[in-house]
Amino acid sequence: MHVTTMSFAVEPWTQQTVIVRVGKALDFRNAADFKAACQDQVRAGVRNFVLDFSETGILDSTGLGSIFSLYRQVSPMEGQVVFAAVSRPVQVVVQLTRTYKVFRQFPTVEAAREALR
Amino acid sequence: MADHSILIVEDEHTLRRLLEYRLGKHYRVRTAANGEEALERVAEEMPDLIVSDIMMPRMDGFALQAALQERKETRAIPFIFLTAKADEQSRQRGRRTGVDDYITKPFDIEQLLTRIGRLLERTKLFQSQLDARIGQDFSQRLMPKRLPDVAGWKSHFHNAPKEAGGGDLFDWNEPEKGTFFITIGDVMGKGLQAKFYAFSFLGYLRSTLHTMLRDTRSPATLLRRVNQVLMDDPPMEETFASLLLLRWEPARNLVTYANAGHCRPVVVSASESRIAPHSDLILGLDRNAEFEDAEIELKPGTALVAYTDGLLEQEMAEGHQLGEAGLSESVSRSFGKSEPVRHLLEGVLSRSRRSEFADDILVFWLEREAAAAVATTTPQRQAPRWFSPFAESAERR
Repeated sequence: MHVTTMSFAVEPWTQQTVIVRVGKALDFRNAADFKAACQDQVRAGVRNFVLDFSETGILDSTGLGSIFSLYRQVSPMEGQVVFAAVSRPVQVVVQLTRTYKVFRQFPTVEAAREALR
Repeated sequence: MADHSILIVEDEHTLRRLLEYRLGKHYRVRTAANGEEALERVAEEMPDLIVSDIMMPRMDGFALQAALQERKETRAIPFIFLTAKADEQSRQRGRRTGVDDYITKPFDIEQLLTRIGRLLERTKLFQSQLDARIGQDFSQRLMPKRLPDVAGWKSHFHNAPKEAGGGDLFDWNEPEKGTFFITIGDVMGKGLQAKFYAFSFLGYLRSTLHTMLRDTRSPATLLRRVNQVLMDDPPMEETFASLLLLRWEPARNLVTYANAGHCRPVVVSASESRIAPHSDLILGLDRNAEFEDAEIELKPGTALVAYTDGLLEQEMAEGHQLGEAGLSESVSRSFGKSEPVRHLLEGVLSRSRRSEFADDILVFWLEREAAAAVATTTPQRQAPRWFSPFAESAERR
């Protein structure tokens, strides 16, 4: 099954884990859509999110804020948010905010989902 | 663009479906068959505009209009009457009750669309002007009215908020003579919401510092506490902020700082320019986040330059962002100039792809003068100095 909410494709992996294709940009224009898409998943029982940044050229502070909200929501339920295939622009933001201390990073989506199995 | 929602109120089935279909190509459309149903739809979700018939069973258009006028929240919804009643009396009555437009049947759908478009445009313009005014007011209150004034030191500050910019903030105080606490931060998000969060965050920040400074002088300890406040207080749940907290003791030529995921400051002199490397996690993410203090000794003829991310993210002519390396180099070029911040910003802009900054710009430049033999604080006020957002205009030196 393949559900697309605006620009975000969400692919189930296990009952608890999904892969979110972040796409070209996560910023003030679509952060609310991202939040809504993740909310639906959390309500459906999903706890772990693999964010695929392979195509992402823009991640601004509003976009990052929406990821933080997700993290704050799932972490008390033992959930995880991990980053996969982090592109250079995303890496810059992650470095600046020191959020690599919170979000585990994996070179590929495959590696991330194996780790969350 | 389907981002506007329109409520159609019409008792005749065919016309209602026709309007739903035609307007549905441009807007999100909901329908109601009479005034009562319309009020239910409005209670569910506030429409951006209402197109309503006059003659309807149960509750007619005039009664609906009157009911909407009674409530503050619904009074301002743009309202278009659509009716067979071409007589002047109805028209007059409609005008008096705050109807924005009046179209008589049979009508031209294109004409209706034009009028809807014009009304929505006017509402949007009004809203954005209001937002800009409030935003500007917040921005002004988030910025200092004056700067620390210490013999042997120079400070420069520049702030240019963008209307659609974010929640940059800057604050300083001198809780004890000769010890300054300087805060530079950025609350995540964009627009009015971010500015509002930044404004309330600054309130938290000030009261936390005010209370805690009795027990500690450590920026790291202070940040740990501010982080816990952000994590524990439900109203601040969605607030994430990067923050650089500096404790500046001019007499010791020392800056002790802790950095919560904020842009790393540049330390610059005539001979070199480097990034102050130390940084920890952004605030609001992890209750147990650890913060550490780091020190920068400012030798004569050395400046510390702090800023927010709008500067780093400025797109340069070559297509890449300015970045830390680019900024460090630009700061170096501006060192020694009489107005270094202005020189810095003009320099960056001249090498940018566009002729203006894309985001909020905030720069604070603190420099120890080369000629200063002994840096001592000038004896000034006895009481701790907190500046008030309501004080007079900024003093710059």
